[in-house]
Amino acid sequence: MATVAERVKAVTARVLKVSLEEIRPEQSFAEDLGAESVQSIELVAMFEEEFGIEMDEDAALSVETVGAAVEFIAKVCKEQGVKVEE
Amino acid sequence: MRLILIDRVTEARRNFYPLALSRPIWELRCGITSLEEKLQAKVTPNETACFVPDYLAETYRTRTTNAVNDVAALAGDDLLVVDARLRADTLDIAPTGPSQVGLDEQGQVLYARIAQTDLGRLSGNDIDAFLESAKSTLPKIECKLPTWKYTWDLILANPDQLTVDFATAGHSGIEGNVEQPNAIRGGAQDVYVAPGVTIHPMVVIDAENGPVYIDEGAEIHPFTRIEGPCYIGKDSILLGAKCREGNSIGPVCRIGGELEESIIQGHSNKYHDGFIGHSYVGEWVNLGALTTNSDLKNDYSAVSVMLDGKHAISTGSTKVGSLIGDHTKTSIGTLFNTGSYVGAMTIIMATGKPLPKSIPSFIWYIEGMMTKGFGRRKLYETAGTALGRRGCQWTDAEQTMWDAVFETTAPVRNEAIKKSRRAMMTK
Repeated sequence: MATVAERVKAVTARVLKVSLEEIRPEQSFAEDLGAESVQSIELVAMFEEEFGIEMDEDAALSVETVGAAVEFIAKVCKEQGVKVEE
Repeated sequence: MRLILIDRVTEARRNFYPLALSRPIWELRCGITSLEEKLQAKVTPNETACFVPDYLAETYRTRTTNAVNDVAALAGDDLLVVDARLRADTLDIAPTGPSQVGLDEQGQVLYARIAQTDLGRLSGNDIDAFLESAKSTLPKIECKLPTWKYTWDLILANPDQLTVDFATAGHSGIEGNVEQPNAIRGGAQDVYVAPGVTIHPMVVIDAENGPVYIDEGAEIHPFTRIEGPCYIGKDSILLGAKCREGNSIGPVCRIGGELEESIIQGHSNKYHDGFIGHSYVGEWVNLGALTTNSDLKNDYSAVSVMLDGKHAISTGSTKVGSLIGDHTKTSIGTLFNTGSYVGAMTIIMATGKPLPKSIPSFIWYIEGMMTKGFGRRKLYETAGTALGRRGCQWTDAEQTMWDAVFETTAPVRNEAIKKSRRAMMTK
């Protein structure tokens, strides 16, 4: 099974239409990867689908970087009893 | 005699969503007045008490002088208990007389006339138990009194009701300020311009086919044409509007563009061009420039509406536009399909295509997707801002009420979001 980081990157690449290889943990979704506010909403939706979780909108939309998203999603998965590869 | 208005949590109540999500059914408008005002005028009670779904009680108390959800109101007088859906114009019951319970075909209480002398035989700690007790104790009849069944019934009845209500109101003439040049067509007796109204130059009021009632404090800007029958509510502003026949515009609205045979509850904006026809728009709605709805299908067949997002209900009418819930906002260029259901607290960011016919409450419709968007807290913030702009306040009670609406509407919304995501993932 792919890790949380790999799955987050894959979703990010698909939604933001950027190359998988370009995505690094320290990158900001908005400033570095060009996510507009509407795409942020799409990202949250697709992360929820990918991991089968429910995220609080305010908390999820306040996550700025890819690395922070990996940590946040791993935490939510743990809280909601969803098994993932760390 | 005390009038007891009841709006119980029943399947029939859902037929008035999204408008009744945030108000009792009797607050809905038809013609010049609300359904409550019509029932009051018909029954002429000494006093009135109301029973509403619990989640509405606290906010509704701030808008009425009537007792709300107070069982003490079920004692001490002759009572006439009336379901909010009963049509006042065909309500053919003597308000006082021997006790009698009128049931619809499903056995639901449509009305209960209860003589004070019989009250001691009844029991119940809430309105439902009280009515069950009345049903089992007092003489019953099955009655076929006409009721309002759906929100579109109000839209379709609106033109005739406007004419009836104008006659009932008994006002005519110009008491406000009408700046010249102006044109008033039709009989002077069919126009009423209330005190405090300002009508700018170059306005046409056409009462040839129905009366026009412009209520206190309204302002009509140049190049507006108002066709009767029509009611313009207190402190509303028309901005070069093409106000076609059959409109009821509640208080404190801003209306431009084209509006036809529609009801706007109040405090809503349709400032710019765009056509809204045969629609019911709630409160605190903002329709962006060029927001337009279809109200007639290309094949002239009866329009259907999906109230639950799944099952199409035929309206039986060839003309029905949109039902738009409170606090909903649309972007520029929004195009609503014929017979659209647009929930409350919904944000529409249109992409130029006609939208799905059913959009649940608290949805952010973005890039063709039903989403949770920026969430409910952001919607509440925006609602607070909208209220503040009109000197009103967003309260904790409002938020609690809307939280209940959020929970009530969650199943339909969640399903719509899931469906939309599945569609997106297969693109």
